[in-house]
Amino acid sequence: MLTITHFTKSYKGGKKAVNDLNLVVGRGDIYGFIGHNGAGKTTTIRAVVGVLDFEEGDIEIDGVSIKKDPVACKAKTAYIPDNPDLYDHLTGIQYLNFIADLFSVSKADRERLIKKYSDAFQITANLGDMISSYSHGMKQKLAIISALIHKPKLLVLDEPFVGLDPKAAHMLKTIMVELCSNGSAIFFSTHVLDVAEKLCNKIAIIKGGQLIAHGRTEEVKGKNSLEDVFLELIDND
Amino acid sequence: MINIWRLTKLQLLSSFGLNKALHTKEVKERRKALLLSTGILAGVLMIAAASFGYSFMMALAFEQMGRMDLLLAIMMAVTSLVGFFTTVYKASGVLFSYRDYDLVMSLPIKTTHVVASRILQLYVLNMFFTVMVMLPAGVVYAIKVNPGALFYLFFLITLLCIQLLPIIAATIIGASVSWIASRFKASRMISLVLTFAVMIALMVGSFGMNGNGQALADMGTGLADMIFKLYPLAAIYVDAVCSYRVGSLLLFIVLSVLSFMIFATVLGTKYKAIHTGLTTSHASSKYIMKPLEASSPFRALYKKELRRYFSSSIYVLNTSMGMILLLVMSVALLFVSPGKLGELIEIPQLSHYLSTVAPIIVSLFVTLSCTTSSAISLEGNHLWILKSSPVSKQSILLSKVAVNLTITLPIVVVSDVLLMISLHMGWIESLLLLVIPSIYACYSAMLGIIINLKLPKLEWTSEVAVVKQSAAVLASMFIGIISLLIPLGISLLLAHVNGKLILSGVGMLMIAVCIAMFRYMQTKGERLVQKL
Repeated sequence: MLTITHFTKSYKGGKKAVNDLNLVVGRGDIYGFIGHNGAGKTTTIRAVVGVLDFEEGDIEIDGVSIKKDPVACKAKTAYIPDNPDLYDHLTGIQYLNFIADLFSVSKADRERLIKKYSDAFQITANLGDMISSYSHGMKQKLAIISALIHKPKLLVLDEPFVGLDPKAAHMLKTIMVELCSNGSAIFFSTHVLDVAEKLCNKIAIIKGGQLIAHGRTEEVKGKNSLEDVFLELIDND
Repeated sequence: MINIWRLTKLQLLSSFGLNKALHTKEVKERRKALLLSTGILAGVLMIAAASFGYSFMMALAFEQMGRMDLLLAIMMAVTSLVGFFTTVYKASGVLFSYRDYDLVMSLPIKTTHVVASRILQLYVLNMFFTVMVMLPAGVVYAIKVNPGALFYLFFLITLLCIQLLPIIAATIIGASVSWIASRFKASRMISLVLTFAVMIALMVGSFGMNGNGQALADMGTGLADMIFKLYPLAAIYVDAVCSYRVGSLLLFIVLSVLSFMIFATVLGTKYKAIHTGLTTSHASSKYIMKPLEASSPFRALYKKELRRYFSSSIYVLNTSMGMILLLVMSVALLFVSPGKLGELIEIPQLSHYLSTVAPIIVSLFVTLSCTTSSAISLEGNHLWILKSSPVSKQSILLSKVAVNLTITLPIVVVSDVLLMISLHMGWIESLLLLVIPSIYACYSAMLGIIINLKLPKLEWTSEVAVVKQSAAVLASMFIGIISLLIPLGISLLLAHVNGKLILSGVGMLMIAVCIAMFRYMQTKGERLVQKL
């Protein structure tokens, strides 16, 4: 579903934020992407969803290059950033309807899916309020719902559990598993290693812009905990 | 006191992309900043030269009357009035609408000092205009009168104080509007409507004053009396600067500084309450799912952009004041015939000029109402939503152009019909009056988008920094006005050539420019948005 080939991103001044990254996320995968602050996780994620421009390498979603046909790639992808800055001047329902319009979701589907997910995240009663009145967690829930209503084939999340209450975090994990069992793929970054260990069937660890380990979760962590492996890999220069 | 300066410095550094220009290591960014600075410097020099020329011409008349003090009195009064008018509608935005409010208010700084720093930001912005008008006037006065050394000292001291009282007066109106609005649920809309009402009342009021045209014609003492009656502070100012009266100087300084301090202290006591009222959204939490309306992606983008526009009072006020002015003037012209207006302002053939240059004048108002030059920058932290959506970047850009046209075209049509009636225009002139401003509306909207793509300002804490102070807004306004001054100059210079022919030529040329800009957006738009 997602193929990253020789992806390199240099920032102004020539410093490489990510260097020659190769990764494949298949259908049904829940792929955890972990690394310390500034390792290159968000840069990679932003390039995958077509927000960040890049020169070297290629990223394909369902066989289509994001460079060649970005609109087609984005139509299959949903993205939730680490800090969901949503339109404060819209109400929750106006925002969801706006996203449904951009993704050409049918009237019946959008009504059904908005109800389904906003009930699940217990936010339906707040949908008529301005987003400016929402707490961080409510904005996060709204961003998640907006990502789910167009039934994405690839769901890309950057630190999705930050700001969610325990019930909402549990709900999100359940939905992630449900999505993958239906053939979608999930690629997400997290600092919560326990969650990654339990939820992901595959893990990639990035350090200084380069992948230092990746593969099936059991293979990456072996007999140790993911936390131990992560700390060992990060501390070893 | 040092905290007031620290906060003001922080705000000023984020204005006009100053900090970015100072600290960027990228050659391209530096080159852009250098180019922009050169452009601004050239603009400043042009304005200074024009201001000097204007002062010099006025000085010739005042010299004959033996009242050179009137030059400084008039310029001081004009500076103060312009400062007042331009501050009324931006005061609320500068005082209350900034994103780092929580951060600033959590610092160990007195609220009064925070308020003072916000007013000082307005002061620094207005100082630019004051210096542009007063300094050339002072130089002309010095050349003509050859005053003593005290003049220079008093002139420079008072120069720093001229803007304080007008700003305070305007800010009192702005803060009062915000205070009233903060008590209602729809506080932003109320604030917008009230500010518009105040501005229109001030405009109508100033038209009423101009009605006393005879006083202007009388000149001499009549004029001096009128200025001093209209703005008594001008009398104190002239007394201090031209007659070197220390008492008047002290009175002028004390009045200005004391009013600033009292206002900052009084507003400081209500500041948090007003801010809370303005920024708190009413949440009913009683929504029940209803049938939803599906739209095409373009229509959805357009609706979102229109809602964005009306959600920001500073955005609306800054970009629609030109259209409001146009409408008010078109209505006013229904009641004052062009001939009478010509007599009043002593331009005998005004009606002839008006029918020829009316399309250009209407286009000037259209150019001043460019919403697109800040539309991309205003996306700010939300840009990820559009960039990660499966819509072409051209649709995003065109939706912003469409909103600008929605703001300008209906008012252009209504105003043009009123002008056709009041100016008794023939059908070709009427057609030109409709077509030329419409072309300029398209031109200005697309020009704004392209310039904003080239000069984006996506990191900001206050919308004022984008809507009023960003490089893209200044550049598009400058280019827009130049694009009108050239045909206006040609029309006036070639008065013997058929005006309709010149306007038709201008129209054809601008259509070609519009097509070129549209094609540019279609071919380069995707790349430029992606680079943001």
